[in-house]
Amino acid sequence: MKRLIALGSAILLFAIVAAWWMNSRQPKPIVLIPTLTGKPEYCLTCHSDLPQISPSHPVKTFGCVICHGGVALALNADLAHSTLRGGANPSDLSVVQENCGGSNCHSGGAADNNNHIQRVMTSVQSTYAGAITNILYTFGAESDLTARFGIRAESDNQITTTTGVPVLQAFDPAKQTNPLIQKFAVNCLFCHINAQPLPGPQFDRLTGCAACHTPNVASYPQGQIHELTTDIPYTQCNTCHNRGNYDLQTMTFLQRTDQPQPDNRLQNYYQPIAQFTKCEYELDCIDCHTRIEAMGDGDIHSNEADIQYIQCKTCHGTPTQLPLTKTLTDPNDIAFRQAQLNPVVDLQLGDTILVTEKGEPLWNTRLLPDGTYQLVGKATGQVFTIPPVMGSGCTQNGTDQSSAYCHACHSVQR
Amino acid sequence: MPELSRRDFFKLITTVLLTISGALGIGALIRFLNYQTEPPVKTEFDIGPMENYPIGSRSLVPDVPAVLIHSQTGFTALSLVCTHLGCTVMQQDYGFGCPCHGSRYDANGNVLRGPAQNPLRSLRVEITADQHLILRTD
Repeated sequence: MKRLIALGSAILLFAIVAAWWMNSRQPKPIVLIPTLTGKPEYCLTCHSDLPQISPSHPVKTFGCVICHGGVALALNADLAHSTLRGGANPSDLSVVQENCGGSNCHSGGAADNNNHIQRVMTSVQSTYAGAITNILYTFGAESDLTARFGIRAESDNQITTTTGVPVLQAFDPAKQTNPLIQKFAVNCLFCHINAQPLPGPQFDRLTGCAACHTPNVASYPQGQIHELTTDIPYTQCNTCHNRGNYDLQTMTFLQRTDQPQPDNRLQNYYQPIAQFTKCEYELDCIDCHTRIEAMGDGDIHSNEADIQYIQCKTCHGTPTQLPLTKTLTDPNDIAFRQAQLNPVVDLQLGDTILVTEKGEPLWNTRLLPDGTYQLVGKATGQVFTIPPVMGSGCTQNGTDQSSAYCHACHSVQR
Repeated sequence: MPELSRRDFFKLITTVLLTISGALGIGALIRFLNYQTEPPVKTEFDIGPMENYPIGSRSLVPDVPAVLIHSQTGFTALSLVCTHLGCTVMQQDYGFGCPCHGSRYDANGNVLRGPAQNPLRSLRVEITADQHLILRTD
């Protein structure tokens, strides 16, 4: 009996010493009390070396937990990370509403241009409805080109365009009998912003918002990716676009054989077989394509053509009409907020900028006093002059804005 | 020296072990009872003698953060915390600008441009008996 008591005493002492030792190994916490939440967080104890994610999300204001989740006061990595939402990527679409939403953040109203998440979730880049619809129609599984299926079920109760559809069901390949449609499901359903990319540095990107807004992920050291930006270079768009072609006969994706070359935009931009103009490879995609085109307008569309509407005439006009412009008179114009997020231009009240036919501001353009137009590259800061068609030698039919029509004269030979 | 019996040996060992365990346990208990939670967010700032802020001055107080204005009518203070999401606004030629989302305020804290909807918050300024200025953010 005495021996058992002595053994019990030894075990008790061992347990207490072990508890002291484990406690003493915990780091001294670095406390952060974000302005927005007013609640202390210990995350910087281990993550103080991470760069600030963006000027719009300073850590002193937001902290970490509001976007990432996690146990704010834990000093043990496993415990601290046990309730992370979305792992290392809180912008993955499966968790984006919880992490990035909120009426003051990215789930505000359309009137405030703050409905980012709703727009992205219903966008063609996210639903993949365009490709699914086209394949189903091509192989006779649908009678028309109206979208009925997407990567996941989605609905929209506020349709604002003539091409918007109210609902998508989740595409279920198991319900398809055509082997080519099933092959499409196997080989092609990775082509949306929430899919894991194909292996290879040319495809390297994250998912969700970060698929576009966290560029150049391959350039970061392991575990150090912490950037959100609206300064998105064409190379980021190329992790999905221009990386190959689909072969409909075998329903496979044929990768480009020419690999990206640093600083060779002409080589990288489009596939060798494609026609393109000088401005298409000198500019970055985001210099022309607007946020509505890329992130959606809040409606579910059946294909890319329903939402992509920038044409040559948007910037260059036609032989009989100058491009549309707008003089900034409202200090709350969305153009100012967009310019503030990527300050390559110092936009001022009274500036005249180009606008799209839907009224979207091309805030990185400006009408100069001499009547010419200027564009500043959003990713490069490079200044370009936009020559108007009107008054030039161009004899185009201004109503024909098809790609092939303009490329007939203006394509670049690679 | 008398030889220690097996029974006494276990008794001694048990006593020593339990004594050390008890001491460590009491130490842990004291540490637990003395545990300091995070101090509450500071809401009162002594910003020094009022003579440091002459009439007509507009002084930034980064620790608060705030701007202290000394006019003919007395001391007033504006919080430099943006009313949109809480970033610290910066002094600009037009007043104050938020580096996070571009809100702009005039020199009196009124909104010039959103997304902020509300003006910068006025802070209470108190003068102590020894003529020090106290800014209160609560």
